[in-house]
Amino acid sequence: MIGAEVTFDVALPKVIWGWLVSTNMWAKSIATGTFLLGLYFIKRYPEQDNFFRKWIPILGIIFIGITLLVTVLDLHHMFRFWKIFFHPHFTSAVTLGAWVVSAFVIVLLISFWSWATGNKKLFDRIMIPGFILAFFSTIYTAGIMGEATAREVWVFPAEMISMLFSAMIAGSAAYLIVDAVYGNVLQEKIRRELGYILFGSAGLEAAMFIGELFFAKMHSEFSYRVVEILAFGEVAPFFWIGLVFTFIIPMILVGIANEYRKYRYAWLASIFALIGLWLIKHAWLIAPQSLPLS
Amino acid sequence: MRLGFLVDLSRCMGCMACAVACKAENDVPLHSWRLRVKYIDQGEFPDVKRHFVPLRCNHCENAPCERICPVSALHYLPNGIVNVDHDRCIGCASCMMACPYNAIYLDPITNSADKCTYCAHRIEVGMMPACVVACPTHANIFGDLDDPESEISKYLKNHRDVMVRKPELNTRPKHFYVRGSTVALDPLASERPEGYAIFTEVKFLDHIGGH
Repeated sequence: MIGAEVTFDVALPKVIWGWLVSTNMWAKSIATGTFLLGLYFIKRYPEQDNFFRKWIPILGIIFIGITLLVTVLDLHHMFRFWKIFFHPHFTSAVTLGAWVVSAFVIVLLISFWSWATGNKKLFDRIMIPGFILAFFSTIYTAGIMGEATAREVWVFPAEMISMLFSAMIAGSAAYLIVDAVYGNVLQEKIRRELGYILFGSAGLEAAMFIGELFFAKMHSEFSYRVVEILAFGEVAPFFWIGLVFTFIIPMILVGIANEYRKYRYAWLASIFALIGLWLIKHAWLIAPQSLPLS
Repeated sequence: MRLGFLVDLSRCMGCMACAVACKAENDVPLHSWRLRVKYIDQGEFPDVKRHFVPLRCNHCENAPCERICPVSALHYLPNGIVNVDHDRCIGCASCMMACPYNAIYLDPITNSADKCTYCAHRIEVGMMPACVVACPTHANIFGDLDDPESEISKYLKNHRDVMVRKPELNTRPKHFYVRGSTVALDPLASERPEGYAIFTEVKFLDHIGGH
């Protein structure tokens, strides 16, 4: 007896979390990445801290705002969002994430106030809690993906590291774009260091994705089939273009920029990285939803 | 008390009485299913076999949907049932992403998550779940897993071919199958050619973003 076919079943909805969730992860990477890297550059290069004290809150508020907007829009009962705060269930990474991001928003608002009033000490006081909140805001989505038991390809520690790399890519790319748009206001050494961060984090995250495709031990047939869908299925264009845009092109362009001191290439690399990051996150989100679970 | 379900697949004849009874009892809207019966054909003529597989919530002891729900809309009842509170649900669909059995749906009318509750409202007043009552072959066996004298406990004790779906995920389902097979219980063990579904087009209320 060979072969088996489903000959009768009901139709089930396929994609549960769509582009709004991809956008959530993408925008959050920019907000938290600019915050984490901004703190580093303020400490390392205090002579140019005004740039980062200005752009940390501006970029943070814009992109965490987008994150929250798409999160709420994605709810089927968006006006019940408050229940996360009044009926919280703390085993859920969704709850933890909502609380952490809300606290992070407060930190961003304080940092905005600090910049607007020129009160540097105020921002200095919230640097440590801000760092902790930005870090956990970056990784809580990995916790949600880890708790999504049905999607076996999402494994918590790997997702967490991948999201930290994404934040580094997004943060460095965002600062390089801002610097280019405002006429190269950053010192050359800072610009070069942002390029190295983009280069390094792109390389490491590329290694994770390529490792997942070619070298990872597949724990289940589900995981194996998801990788097949990523490589050859309907999300393959998102995945491959995302891979080239996020990792390969930025690494080449940043390499040229830093080697030959032609920093307009770093700006171009950053544009590609940010577009590619959305594409690859979308592919990674959709692929495990393309298989039947029952 | 730990309420559980067992389906003797050798008795199921795919009549869908359980699915219809469930729909009627729980007022399940069009395009949504708390319980469905899947047909799988295996082999080549003349050596062929048809499997019928009723699929519903497994009421896991370690339920991923309960763990991920941010507002405890999905919660355990003292009798082990994983229940759902429609008024608490915020519609984030995390439970749908977490459930490895595809047993949860977003009700297109209430916009809340919903699923099989083992007919908790009937059990509360001493009645059996609607699907158990409707089954003409007594393929659905329901009862207390903690009671050694219950029919389900005796069935589990007397049969060595008891299976659950996806045991490797450690969800500890309280929904068992007897005389099942990998083809029947593993969704990736069978192909899904185009047109297998009753309704090829699924319509939901308009939402932004792929629901």
